[in-house]
Amino acid sequence: MTANPMIDEWYPVGILTELSPEGRDTMLMGEPITVACDAAGDPVVTAGDGRSLPVRARYGHAWTSLGTPAKELFDIPEADQPGRRLVDVGVVRVKCSPLRAVENFLDIAHFPFVHTDILGAEPNTEVQRYEVQIREEVDEVWATKVKFYQPQAAKSAEGGITTDYMYRVPAPTVSILYKTCPPRPGEWDVITLFVQPLAEDLCEVWPWMALFDDQTPMTDLIHFQQMIFLQDRSILENQLPRLLPLDPGMEIPTRADLTSVAYRRWLKRHGFTYGAQLVAA
Amino acid sequence: MILYDYVLSPDCYKVRLLAALAGVKITLRPVDFHPGGEHKTAPFLAMNPSGTIPIFEDDGVILTESSAILTYLAAKAGPAWLGDDTPEMRGRVAQWLAFSQRLSASIGKARVHDMLNKPADIEACRKAGTQCLREIEAALVDQRLAGHDFLAGDRPTIADLACFPHSMLAPDGGISVDPYPAIRLWTRRVRALPGFIEMPGIHRLHDLKPEPGPIPERV
Amino acid sequence: MQNDNRGQTTQMPQNWTAVALSRDVPPQVVIPSVVDGRELAVWRSQSGRVAAWDDRCPHRGMRLSHGFVRGEALSCIYHGWSYNEAGLCQRIPAHPDLVPPDAIRVPVQVAAESGGVIWVALQETGQAPPSLGEFVPMRSVTVEAPATTVAALTGVEIDTAGALSVDLAETPCVLLVQNLPADRVALHVLVAAGTSAAAQAGVSRALEDLRRRAESERQPA
Repeated sequence: MTANPMIDEWYPVGILTELSPEGRDTMLMGEPITVACDAAGDPVVTAGDGRSLPVRARYGHAWTSLGTPAKELFDIPEADQPGRRLVDVGVVRVKCSPLRAVENFLDIAHFPFVHTDILGAEPNTEVQRYEVQIREEVDEVWATKVKFYQPQAAKSAEGGITTDYMYRVPAPTVSILYKTCPPRPGEWDVITLFVQPLAEDLCEVWPWMALFDDQTPMTDLIHFQQMIFLQDRSILENQLPRLLPLDPGMEIPTRADLTSVAYRRWLKRHGFTYGAQLVAA
Repeated sequence: MILYDYVLSPDCYKVRLLAALAGVKITLRPVDFHPGGEHKTAPFLAMNPSGTIPIFEDDGVILTESSAILTYLAAKAGPAWLGDDTPEMRGRVAQWLAFSQRLSASIGKARVHDMLNKPADIEACRKAGTQCLREIEAALVDQRLAGHDFLAGDRPTIADLACFPHSMLAPDGGISVDPYPAIRLWTRRVRALPGFIEMPGIHRLHDLKPEPGPIPERV
Repeated sequence: MQNDNRGQTTQMPQNWTAVALSRDVPPQVVIPSVVDGRELAVWRSQSGRVAAWDDRCPHRGMRLSHGFVRGEALSCIYHGWSYNEAGLCQRIPAHPDLVPPDAIRVPVQVAAESGGVIWVALQETGQAPPSLGEFVPMRSVTVEAPATTVAALTGVEIDTAGALSVDLAETPCVLLVQNLPADRVALHVLVAAGTSAAAQAGVSRALEDLRRRAESERQPA
């Protein structure tokens, strides 16, 4: 195991349609990088010391790594499904651990309090039992059979519905959720949080979506998702300790938190500790 | 009445908030401010050469600058929000509307710098923002000593609405609002008004509603 | 164990620290505060009882000072976990029928109210908070400079109650000192009883002037 196993993972660093030849300076786990594009428009990422970093262009975003990824970037088949609207929501910077940002995205018990009258409302606060597993064959955390009553589940929803959810963590700072698609029952809308760790307590969040919705204008879709994420931001910036505790003791989960418990266990197993702390205070 | 709007913009929110509090229906036209930069594209510059939002359109009248839109909307649909029709009150409200520009230029700028990576002299913005909050705090203390709950008198006016969003959202830009007890109580009064609506970063006041279910009994 | 205030010689160790004026924490209001470096949520229940708790929900570490008060309980804004007067978790909205285990609790500090001021102690003191005579609360300000700088400008020493007794705008005042991290200080200001509203406004201006002078002392030349 290398000193920081997260070095060899893929991270989002820009929106493909926003790349420029001059490039944009940013940071990845404390290291300065420049994200640009070549004459063909393909992403080019250079580290502070001048070395070229590996790149992928996928899901509307440029991805890179400071090390040598053993795996290809995870797969989201829905991205290639005809009829889907693919939405680059836009980057938001948050003064929190990248791991806290991911964990918040996996949580539903906060919906009635933080996304009030949109994703949840009192008195419908109960979180029914759901299923969580670490799928060893793909080495991903999955939560299935998650349900929650939502006053306004999506821009495309007319009125309150009980939404079905699935959650998936294919990489330490990537969270994907699959939710009931009102216009196409039987399909899932896909909403992702791609998180770029700048420092252990600073990250940039690049949300992306693959939806079935032929009615809603693109800007409305973007605004809905930005609204949801911005409601979480003031929570994320006020959690203590700043680094995600991976040892039990400091923070007390309940049955509603099974996904986050599995996520923390999976992080610890892999030594994915950038943005985490290991000693309970 | 059409508001060219961005859900995350405090200046657009001021107009949405007045409409909600005054019970006025307005149509929102979302503008892709971020990441699209749509407000700087030709069709929007044609409406507003400043390249800013909000932009307001009603009956052929196009207005920019949130303070102006608040004034128009209040005059048209909720005149009580302008305050009493006395020279002193007109002056006070105008003073706070002018002041609110400084909030956008300091706190607003710090916020989009910290959240959306827009360029800014962040230290200068935070320093100026802190100064603004101190001035609001001092004014609210003076108002309390004179027996008033709001910036321009005993009832809320567009003076309060113009200053309210940035007073709550300052922490988004790295400016603490912890040191201002008078601002805290004044923002609670605004948030408790009938018809109040939130924006992302301003949470619902859950204490206004009782606990929805029984407390499980400890045996 | 007492913490003194960063080696100042002018102040005796305090049991009680003033954290707010009573009027600035009406029923159902929560404020963040810091006492001897410890971050607290200071709040008042619907019936009027003041409390000071560690500013951290044991669920996922969210600051309780962002929470909301219903009845005699403080709830966390993140997942709505609600805590009773003893700091014990009494309800978890995600599991509304569950009696939360006793282990889920928030550390509770000692809070008391006297003379229109809310006082906090980090351990039982066996004493009442300081009594300040015929003074009434006016306002609180935070200064980006240490208490010693403020005291030096007034020419007065901080007394054993943690107070500076000084005239501002020719009005007798008591400035209660609350030391904050990073060399800052909160001053909870009381004025002589019977001071008119107009005179209090004058005190407010003089206080801001004092703050300005203390902060410019702190700047490098």
